[in-house]
Amino acid sequence: MSDPPLLSATGLSLRVGAADILKDVDFAIRAGEIVTLIGPNGSGKTSLLKALLGLLPAGGRIARKPGLRIGYVPQNFPRDRSLPLTAGRFLRLFAADAPAQAALERAGIAALSGRQLVALSGGEMARVLLARAIATGPELLILDEPLAGVDVAGEAALYHLIAELRGEIGCGVLLVSHDLHVVMAQADRVVCLNGHVCCEGKAEQVVRDPAFAQMFGPRVAGELALYVHRHDHSHDHDHDHEDHALG
Amino acid sequence: MTMRTTPLDDFLWRATLGAGILGAAAGPLGSLVLWRRMAYLGESIGHIGLLGAGAGLLLGIDPLIGVTLLAILSALIMARARDGLIPVGTSIGVVGHVGLALGFVLLSSMETVRTDLIGYLFGDVLALSGIDVGEIAAICTVIAVLSAVFWRRWLMAAVNADIAKAEGRASPLAETVFLVLVAVLVALGLRVVGALLIVALIIIPPAAARPFARSPEQMAALAGLIGAASAPLGLALAYWKDIPAGPAIVLAAAALFGLSSLSARLAR
Repeated sequence: MSDPPLLSATGLSLRVGAADILKDVDFAIRAGEIVTLIGPNGSGKTSLLKALLGLLPAGGRIARKPGLRIGYVPQNFPRDRSLPLTAGRFLRLFAADAPAQAALERAGIAALSGRQLVALSGGEMARVLLARAIATGPELLILDEPLAGVDVAGEAALYHLIAELRGEIGCGVLLVSHDLHVVMAQADRVVCLNGHVCCEGKAEQVVRDPAFAQMFGPRVAGELALYVHRHDHSHDHDHDHEDHALG
Repeated sequence: MTMRTTPLDDFLWRATLGAGILGAAAGPLGSLVLWRRMAYLGESIGHIGLLGAGAGLLLGIDPLIGVTLLAILSALIMARARDGLIPVGTSIGVVGHVGLALGFVLLSSMETVRTDLIGYLFGDVLALSGIDVGEIAAICTVIAVLSAVFWRRWLMAAVNADIAKAEGRASPLAETVFLVLVAVLVALGLRVVGALLIVALIIIPPAAARPFARSPEQMAALAGLIGAASAPLGLALAYWKDIPAGPAIVLAAAALFGLSSLSARLAR
């Protein structure tokens, strides 16, 4: 943990009008680490990502590793019907031909290469956006609700893909998601945000934190604590996993 | 001894060349203006251009220099505007119309140029001299070269400005060049179709090209072709029906847009 972080913020604050969206947030992500941001609606998750990326003007200090290659999947990607663009060309706009093709194949969407973006379903578009982000060979993937528009079956597959990609590329992953179960299962570190950092740490620590229970209510917190415990368990033993109904 | 004649000896040829070259150069920039929903910006630059013409005449410099300088200045300033309580399109529209009104007042106060007012509002393409056409050709060549150089950057920003910026691919230089070129295009267009119609010549050809394009580059090239074709078609219409040339060029572009929309509908 002594190597300098890829991206960090110290005393980050963001005001919109009279409202404090973020207040005195300290944050850092290191190479190869998966960090997930969780928090209720309006807790400032997307704002924090955007401030870290320089898309929102924020107070405090933000430091990027020099020359850091970022792959960004925004929460919203408005597709413009007046702009004719195939999925393949979309990737090649940001990456060279060979890595663009490899990324399409890796995301399982090589067949979509010649299709217009506006003709893709929500799930297909989510994969295209992810493929574009990895095509540039990022050191840090920043994914803001990458599963918007993806159905339940697709969600699990896509999360699996994200975790695999982390292993293959060795990049850091900073992820915002609503699906607490999957987040808990995949993350090295979980950061609970509610205008400020409420608590952070390994998933099993976070779910037992009183601040976490206060934020999501005791019922959700209890369920997740149980889930995380079972999940831990599954790594240690080879017995059958029939009680793993969640996720 | 007979003088060698060139197409530039005929005012109709000069008009066709001047307007056609402008229409061709407007293809790629016009496509970007369409994708980025910036028509209102072009419109306001055009309106303010009238004030620039007035100011140029008042200061005793070439009115087109006045137009170009004010157009560039206003483009760079207005592009920084953001939505507040009032949408950005509205506030920029207000500024543009103030410029139009002031320009009108200024030009009206100058006895000698009062008759030129219609020319500034609707263009005076038939009055283009050989030197004017040469100027248009030279400037449009620069526009075309710079469009090719910055195309990929511009396209990234048009596809998704947040991704481009987050991944460190946004270029303030590319954005500034884009705005300056749009302003120069509008200023040139003031001579051809006038302050009130120039945005039509920027927006209509890409709109007409859209149904037939499968890639951004196809759309830009096709828009240039349609823009260029609008010039001879419009001038033929003006000659045949004895109507003002600038508006006739816009009507020709609109007719191509109508045909394109119709055939796209029929093909579905």
